[in-house]
Amino acid sequence: MATLKAEQKKQRVERLSSVREFVFGVQDGVLTTAGVLFGLSGAVSGRLEVILAALASTAAGAMSMGAGAYLGTRAESEVIRGELDRMRRATQSEPYVIQEELLGSLAAEGLSRETSYRVVKLLSSSPKLLLATVEEKVYGLGGAMLGNPAADGLVMGAAFLVGALVPLLPFVLISNQRVGLAAALVTTAGALFAVGYFVGWLADSGRRWPSALRFLLIALGAASIGYLVGLAISPLGATAGP
Amino acid sequence: MIRPGEIAPDFELPSAFNNQVGRVRLSRVDAEVIVLFFYPHDFSFVCPTEVLGFHQELDAFGSQRCKLLGVSVDDVETHLRWARELGGVGYPLLADVGGAVARDYGCFDEQEGVALRATFILDANRSVLYTVASPVNVGRSVSETLRVVCALRTGRLCPADWTPGEQPGPAGSKF
Repeated sequence: MATLKAEQKKQRVERLSSVREFVFGVQDGVLTTAGVLFGLSGAVSGRLEVILAALASTAAGAMSMGAGAYLGTRAESEVIRGELDRMRRATQSEPYVIQEELLGSLAAEGLSRETSYRVVKLLSSSPKLLLATVEEKVYGLGGAMLGNPAADGLVMGAAFLVGALVPLLPFVLISNQRVGLAAALVTTAGALFAVGYFVGWLADSGRRWPSALRFLLIALGAASIGYLVGLAISPLGATAGP
Repeated sequence: MIRPGEIAPDFELPSAFNNQVGRVRLSRVDAEVIVLFFYPHDFSFVCPTEVLGFHQELDAFGSQRCKLLGVSVDDVETHLRWARELGGVGYPLLADVGGAVARDYGCFDEQEGVALRATFILDANRSVLYTVASPVNVGRSVSETLRVVCALRTGRLCPADWTPGEQPGPAGSKF
């Protein structure tokens, strides 16, 4: 029963590792799209042009973020697996080297050398357990770090799409551009506030409101900068001829 | 590190031997040949292969009228517990806490705070006959140490890879 609980905890941590992709995707989708909406609204006057640009940006962003997450996770997993394989081979051919490394690591974390020796000797009675401990304590590698590239890519791409809809939908649905922009600003701020609160809730750190406020400030900052950049480059749009 | 031909610095250190604490003065060790070997630490996974390796060859070293002394920076109580952990060690383990003796012999790793794996073979007058040192992560060869002791005991020219039982070179020839 205790083993099952431990396994469930491990699976939960592995699932939670996808939170990074989800949060990154939603945040990027919201901010990128809001940036396009506010930036272009400052630079060009046509509402349809702004919507088309935001849609193109959303499609390209979702594909790019999904592919990037897939490739990034795959590359990271391959590097980690290679390192783990090298360590497993070393464990078979020179077990005392790995034992000595683990001993040094435990001693560096505060255990006496003698106690560290006894712990490593005890762990050595189970090669599998020894390996798992060395992976974590010496190499700082855990099972949760071996992500699923396809899942990470899908989560990232989908999260970007969901995030992009947050500012885009009110802007599309409300015909008045200024009102649409204001609504997009409100939904953007609300969505980022909610994501920040959600991350704080997941971390169970009791810091949900600071987390929510941090996301909100980032959102407002990014949107403001995007709008100001749009204003700054708008004279270029006015002078550019066909 | 001190070199062949030099006189090894004398010292007196606490020792753990036969499950008892004592003291060993190098100049008072009664032997025709002394193998003084430094190792980094008790309670490690490389050192016991050496410490036990020397222990297992005690008779062979004894037949050459050679005595063994192991030295590390661990204190004598740790040596006692370590020797018990290994099932007994048939020669003294000396406690060079702080590494002063290892420094005198030029085999102290200041960065790690431990002695290198250095071996000094001395004659009865503490004259250094042979030295070798390896980094802390590479264990030394007990059989090679024994081979060198045997070669030195012949007092004759011994070619490369000479092994006990083979006819040594002519007496009086240096090279």
